[in-house]
Amino acid sequence: MHDAVIRMDNVVKRFSGHTAVGGLSLSVPRGGIFGLLGPNGAGKTTTIRMIMNILTPDEGSITVLGRPASRDLSPRIGFLPEERGLYKKMEVLEHLVFLGETKGLRRGEARSRARTWLSRLDLDGWGGRKVEDLSKGMQQKVQFIGALMHEPELVVLDEPFSGLDPVNSRVMKDVVVDIARSGRTVLFSTHIMDQAERMCDRIVIVARGEKVVDGAVADIKREEGSRHVRMTFARGQDRARRVLQDRHLVAEVHDHGASAEVELAEGADGPRLLDALIGAGAGLSHFAVVEPSLESIFISRVGAQAAAAMAMEATADA
Amino acid sequence: MHNVLAIVRREFMTRVRTRAFVIGTVIGPLLMVVLFALPILLQRRQTAPKHVVVLDEGTGPLGRMMADRLAAERRDTVADSRARYLVDYVAAAGRGQALRDSLVSLTGVRDAGPAAVDGILSVDDSTAPSGEIDYVGVNVGSPAEMSALRRTLSPLIIQVRLSESGVDPSLVMRAMRPVELQTFKVSEGKVTGESGEASFLLAYIMSMMLYFALLLYGMQVMTSVVEEKSTRIMEVLVSSVSPFQMLLGKVIGVGSVALLQLGLWAGTAMVLTTFKGPIAGLFGASPATVADIGIPTIGPDMLAVFLGFFALGFLFYSALYAAVGSMCNSVQETQQAQMPVTMCIAAGLICMFALLSEPAGPLARILSLVPFVAPFVTPVRYSFSPLPWTELAASAAVMVLGVLAVVWVAARIYRVGILSYGKKASLRDVARWVRAE
Repeated sequence: MHDAVIRMDNVVKRFSGHTAVGGLSLSVPRGGIFGLLGPNGAGKTTTIRMIMNILTPDEGSITVLGRPASRDLSPRIGFLPEERGLYKKMEVLEHLVFLGETKGLRRGEARSRARTWLSRLDLDGWGGRKVEDLSKGMQQKVQFIGALMHEPELVVLDEPFSGLDPVNSRVMKDVVVDIARSGRTVLFSTHIMDQAERMCDRIVIVARGEKVVDGAVADIKREEGSRHVRMTFARGQDRARRVLQDRHLVAEVHDHGASAEVELAEGADGPRLLDALIGAGAGLSHFAVVEPSLESIFISRVGAQAAAAMAMEATADA
Repeated sequence: MHNVLAIVRREFMTRVRTRAFVIGTVIGPLLMVVLFALPILLQRRQTAPKHVVVLDEGTGPLGRMMADRLAAERRDTVADSRARYLVDYVAAAGRGQALRDSLVSLTGVRDAGPAAVDGILSVDDSTAPSGEIDYVGVNVGSPAEMSALRRTLSPLIIQVRLSESGVDPSLVMRAMRPVELQTFKVSEGKVTGESGEASFLLAYIMSMMLYFALLLYGMQVMTSVVEEKSTRIMEVLVSSVSPFQMLLGKVIGVGSVALLQLGLWAGTAMVLTTFKGPIAGLFGASPATVADIGIPTIGPDMLAVFLGFFALGFLFYSALYAAVGSMCNSVQETQQAQMPVTMCIAAGLICMFALLSEPAGPLARILSLVPFVAPFVTPVRYSFSPLPWTELAASAAVMVLGVLAVVWVAARIYRVGILSYGKKASLRDVARWVRAE
């Protein structure tokens, strides 16, 4: 993959004794949406900071847009850091002009682009207000504009959707999808699995500073095979559960209460499981062999403990 | 360069537009006017003359003369020529003690009306030879009033002693007239017509201005760095702007605000002193009162030295403040961390004062080459006598190198410090950051 926009080779970063990123290699191809997934403390933000040359790796190498990571690339990259921050006392439009300037735009150009973006993100009329007068979600949109207004060929977003309501979340998701559609590259980190599943072409899952899963989302799912069954119970849950305990049929159960997703055991298949459930007297309203969700893949690769921590985060965010 | 300009513009515009700047800029000159007018107003303050009783127990003319001299004493200001003392003479030969006791009972009693006495001077025949006079009064705690009394009485005693010895007092007074030194400064072989005192005063004022500008604006550089860390905008900026650019932009931006404000104030001062006569008139004082108030005129070379070292000193210390800011996570933390910098500034000021006795000595020469104190020391030395250009150039060069070194070190601390959220930097950390890639 020589047309990689970002390439990391065996990158290690340690902070006073603890290893934040341990030998991470990844390659982000040009175009499309690339997801960097993992629970808190997995090393996502550290990885992104190294890509942005805010931190330098202790070992290994990083190339961005074909060159070693450096500040000179800044006009070609848009960056939304995990820690949001704007000058509170500045007017929104002035602030965007300033951010545009630091990305190499001329003032007039920056001003007209900022106006266009403000109206695109439903912030018409807020340009003359001070940043501190805006709600948190609005401020996040302003910062989002700041990262995108110079039309960078690579966009790096650290947890772009956290803390947003569903409406704003959708607006920003549409923008991200548009960027990818125009042939540019988006790298974003998240710990919300189904969001990544819906948006990303390729993903890397990291846990404890190491890569667990890497590849195109479709390939990853295919590799896992059609070994997952999703079912919804109408009645007789207890009887159904007894069947699901059978290790000859089921390798792993993700019980959601009224529904469950199970991974079939080696040698078992869908019809056999369905027969067994009906034989046991379980009432099913829905039974389907499905592609595994990223979440279940993640759980089987990372372990239930890390996954639980992540699920809690996702709930807290939602 | 583009980035530095963007940051300079941002720092400048956001500061100049604040209410605080506008109010500060207006209030500064207002304060100046008040300071200018206050002495005039104070001089006009209505103060009643002090009621002094001269209790003469002696036989000579001394008591009488003292009473006359005190009664003739005026308040020694142009704006106020009223009598300083209201004098009663009491001949008390033989019954001094009794009279004094009864007078003391009237002294300092508020509701005694016109009979109230402020102080009693006791004179007897031993006064002239010994020079000792008893004074009991309510105002003995005021050094100003006591020295005024002494100033009035001393020549009188001397005069009496001289006449008693048969010497003509007026002859002695003439002979004792002190030397009056008229000073003119020589600069590069030419008499400039300005007095050395004036240019020293200006150098002194400039040092004070640098001191206050640093305390006011240098701290702003520091606070703005800390603020940026707390709003976390740094992470966006640091990916496109280098710490060196960031720092330079901040120091220059805040520095321009400082210069603008100081310029406005200096302009006001100039206007005030140019029209000092009419302005004094507004307060009801005669133009002669304010004739001595003014900005000394200086040559262009000295102005260049002053401005140059002012700018270098400001850059140097602002960069130090920025470095302190990048080590801290909150404004509270900076209170402690800035101590060394503030102490350096104070040290610079103290060195400046220390050099006044020997501005061309070896110590002065060495201090001109220490970047921490040079901005205070060198202009003052220059104001005494123009330094050889080599010495001036060396001092300036040391300052420029100092500024670059501090900005460089500060940028390094900045680079790592801005991302070390939530952790207070130890000295060892800072040393490591400076070495860090």
